[in-house]
Amino acid sequence: MSARLLALIPVAVAISLALSAAVDAVALPLFLDTTGTILATALAGPVVGIAVGALTSAVNTLRNPTFWPFVVVQVIVALYAGFAARAALFRSLKTAVPAGLGLGVIASLTSTPISYFVFGCTTTGGIALTTALGKALGLPPLGACFFGSFVSDFGDKAVTFALVASVLHALPRRTAARFPLALRAIGAA
Amino acid sequence: MRALHPFTLLAVAAALPALAWILPAPAGGLATAGIAFCLLGSRGLRRGLWPALVAAAPFWLFLLLLHDVRTTLAIGLRISTMVASFVWLAAVLAPDRLVEATVARGWSITAAYLFAATLSAVPMLRARARRIVEAQRCRGLSPRGSVANRLRALRALALPLVLSALHEVDERTLALEARGLVPGARRTPLAPPPDRVVERVVRWGLLLLCLAALVRRVA
Repeated sequence: MSARLLALIPVAVAISLALSAAVDAVALPLFLDTTGTILATALAGPVVGIAVGALTSAVNTLRNPTFWPFVVVQVIVALYAGFAARAALFRSLKTAVPAGLGLGVIASLTSTPISYFVFGCTTTGGIALTTALGKALGLPPLGACFFGSFVSDFGDKAVTFALVASVLHALPRRTAARFPLALRAIGAA
Repeated sequence: MRALHPFTLLAVAAALPALAWILPAPAGGLATAGIAFCLLGSRGLRRGLWPALVAAAPFWLFLLLLHDVRTTLAIGLRISTMVASFVWLAAVLAPDRLVEATVARGWSITAAYLFAATLSAVPMLRARARRIVEAQRCRGLSPRGSVANRLRALRALALPLVLSALHEVDERTLALEARGLVPGARRTPLAPPPDRVVERVVRWGLLLLCLAALVRRVA
């Protein structure tokens, strides 16, 4: 791994964790905690993305221990973002947002078993409340848990993909060209 | 406690939640939670017990909302063990000692750099994010109103943060190359933490205990 990619990893992790300040300011029910993983993958490929995802989970675990089991979701996100970058799905918001919605479905399918079996669907207040809503609607326990994860992940991943696409397009071409996958991700190579 | 080898601290913090999940509920969870909270108690009420209790309380509330008392007790004790163990670990584990320990063990300097650089980059970028939020508000950005308006505000807040962070990658790359930090390079630790025989025995003992509990549970 080159020094540039090595320097990118801690910065991408910090981006994921620092964006919570921006989310708090606009008071939207979003996490954006996979932004660094998706961005690093779009710039440098899934191996760097997986490293960013694993490190994000490790650092988050020191703040909130419930994050660690979800490291699997970060790996899935990196692999999916790698596919999206190779398919140039970050070339416009029209392609990035549907790709993000697809990731929302996959991420909620991946996180549901972890959330259900390890935490009884209580990972965050929002997920617990939407799970309770799902139960009230008559869904079975696992279905209600998926409903809770889906509601929180679906929009979050679409916004994250849109944000990463905006960042990639705002990057000067000379800077983007220094990363192996950036130009291909936006359909410029 | 801080004088213990970082690998011993990691082993204890990993073994307690593992045992909480492996041992039969609720007795297993009660025992591991008891040990974890006793360890935290050694850090005092304000720095040890209080943050763990605050972190674990919402889980109990949501578990009661979603499950019966028996399930709440089983999962709640496991989550409380996990929370208490990691709050204790965060309080007693010094990142610089962990880096020294990994370097002394011959691990790649890359892993040590990634861990240390991330821990230092996170508070720096968080502070920058707060400054950007304040600066954009001074320029008249309104983060309230419709969802579309809030999403536009989010873009205006997030984009400068991410772009400035990516420009920083160039500076960090030059610094790394100038210091000869390339993959495969080996460093000599300045002050490696002492790794006593008794601590190595404890670590292996914890691993064997987890394996034995797992085998017994599966059998």
